[in-house]
Amino acid sequence: MKNLYRPIESVIEDIKDETPNIKTYRFRPKEPVTFEAGQFVELTVPGVGEAPFTPSSNPNVTETMEITIMEVGSVTDALAKMKVGDTVGIRGPYGKGYDLKDFEGREILIMGGGVGLAPLRSLILALFDDIDKYKKISIRYGARTPADIVYKDLLPKWEQMKNTEVLQTIDEPHPDWKGTVGVVTVLLDDLPLVTTVDVESLPFDPKTAIACVCGPPIMLKFVNMGLLDKGWNPENIFHSMERNMSCGLGKCGHCMMGEYYICKDGPVMTAAQVAKFEDPF
Amino acid sequence: MRGVGPNAHIKREGWPEMKEVFIGRENLLRLIGRWAKDHRVYVPVTFDIMNHEETPDYQLVGDEIPEKLCLEGAALAHTPKSFLFYPREVVAKYPSSDSEAEVEAPPTILVGPRACDVRGIEKFDKVYWSTEHFTEEYDDPFVIEKRKNTYIVSLDCTAAKDSCFCTEVGGEPFPKGGFDVNLSPIEVGFILTVGSERGEKLMAGSDDLVSEVQPNHKEDRDRQRNSVIEAVKRQNAEYAVDVAYEKHELGEDQDAWAHVTQNCVACGACNRACPTCTCFILVDQRAKGGYERTRNWDTCLSIGYARTGGGGNSRPNLPSRLENRLRCKYEYSRDRYGLVTCTGCGRCIDVCMGLIDMREALKHVVTEKAKA
Repeated sequence: MKNLYRPIESVIEDIKDETPNIKTYRFRPKEPVTFEAGQFVELTVPGVGEAPFTPSSNPNVTETMEITIMEVGSVTDALAKMKVGDTVGIRGPYGKGYDLKDFEGREILIMGGGVGLAPLRSLILALFDDIDKYKKISIRYGARTPADIVYKDLLPKWEQMKNTEVLQTIDEPHPDWKGTVGVVTVLLDDLPLVTTVDVESLPFDPKTAIACVCGPPIMLKFVNMGLLDKGWNPENIFHSMERNMSCGLGKCGHCMMGEYYICKDGPVMTAAQVAKFEDPF
Repeated sequence: MRGVGPNAHIKREGWPEMKEVFIGRENLLRLIGRWAKDHRVYVPVTFDIMNHEETPDYQLVGDEIPEKLCLEGAALAHTPKSFLFYPREVVAKYPSSDSEAEVEAPPTILVGPRACDVRGIEKFDKVYWSTEHFTEEYDDPFVIEKRKNTYIVSLDCTAAKDSCFCTEVGGEPFPKGGFDVNLSPIEVGFILTVGSERGEKLMAGSDDLVSEVQPNHKEDRDRQRNSVIEAVKRQNAEYAVDVAYEKHELGEDQDAWAHVTQNCVACGACNRACPTCTCFILVDQRAKGGYERTRNWDTCLSIGYARTGGGGNSRPNLPSRLENRLRCKYEYSRDRYGLVTCTGCGRCIDVCMGLIDMREALKHVVTEKAKA
């Protein structure tokens, strides 16, 4: 029988600094590892252990995989010390991807906070590949300081894409920053409470628009509240849940949330699915 | 294997249709001896440690059947999970280009699981080998191979431990299915029930050891069974609640959970003793020729269990973790697998160093929830 715990050897082909503690790695697995936007993989640093990551690269590119990773724990700290040419392990993909077919013809709001933009990048790139199928792509991104912004070189290019807008904010005023200031939810201020205005004039149709949200738990909580207040359909709000996904197989139990295993039923869960939990984030 | 379902070899439907024979004690020992020729056979024995009689537990049969063989009483110290899902096991060696799993699963016969243990195995089938909830790529070779090579020879309980409560969670102190062979101790020997095709294979060639079951044997067994049912029910009357066990909603009231968690030290003994705790943690380390990954039993009561890389923790305090453990047994497994996974074996009560009685805990949170 197939061994589902074996990591597939993957060589680090490139490392790019995004911020002082975030890097984007490009891996070349020795056996093909394909994924859909929204799915994740388990990355092994040999002898140290595994951690779950959603790839940041285009799912339509299959020979290599990019992952943007922040140094936050034992696996990511050890990874940060590795060099181009070193070998890691990858197993997966796991979980459910976004149903992009269902996104067609709709407005799509993509909200990222900090390194939370990294998993959304694979979604953004997949959407860009078929950009004519979507009504609008609105990327809204918040970082703590200008130095903490990831994909500094890519954001201006994304803005040039058809039917696409990019809005950014930083948490506190900074001499190098001329744009919006405030936590990421300020980027929802142009979405009025639906009861007060005519739906036609809204930047999004709250009944049909899709929201894909990834960031720290506190951000998910407030974006969720914000969007629900503004009349969005909880079935259309997709949160990337942060849980300790250790095996990725729906077995080890670490990522359990009620009867859900986030690694198998998620990692993307709708606001409707998590509504029954007192504090799901 | 796929397409037939994990439990296709087990008849779970009914007691009366199964083949029953009588076997005397001496002949049973002979039968075990025959099995031991080409299987690892584990039998229940009593242990005296420093003049203290411990709960009977499994012992491997060597050239002779152990003298302190004990086929009476209630559940053994260990659950069958120790044989299907090792406390620590190498699950991968890397780097490796071999995608096949290396699994050691010698033919094994377990004599001694009780009804609560047999029910517990069902959870392992659901999690590690299930066509309903997982597709084939999620099959776990390490559990499945052992499961396929492990024969269950269960026993009726002839007595109840103080902590037994199987009758309160839909069980009975004797198995109705899920075994290959079951032994019901009666005054003059045993009624042996063949519960599966695998069980028939175990009995092949041993017609010389068995005889027809007599009506008085069955009367004896029924009397025996009823007396244990009564004993378990009697000792659990004080923990009764108004809600049926399969309908429990234990709630999120942190005051109620804090109350029942007062004496918990998060040691995880209840997880380890539980026949349905299936959770694990993967640990990587250096090994000869590279690295190895081991799978280890884990405990959801430890603070690091749900902790993520950035330090976030969805269950940061002990009451929320004990809540998760008990709701996992009564609510989450029911909602996910259609199976309440507390089998009432009472081991979590036996091993708790904080002397927490899960029946009391359950009663408290259910009662508080009803008030809310």
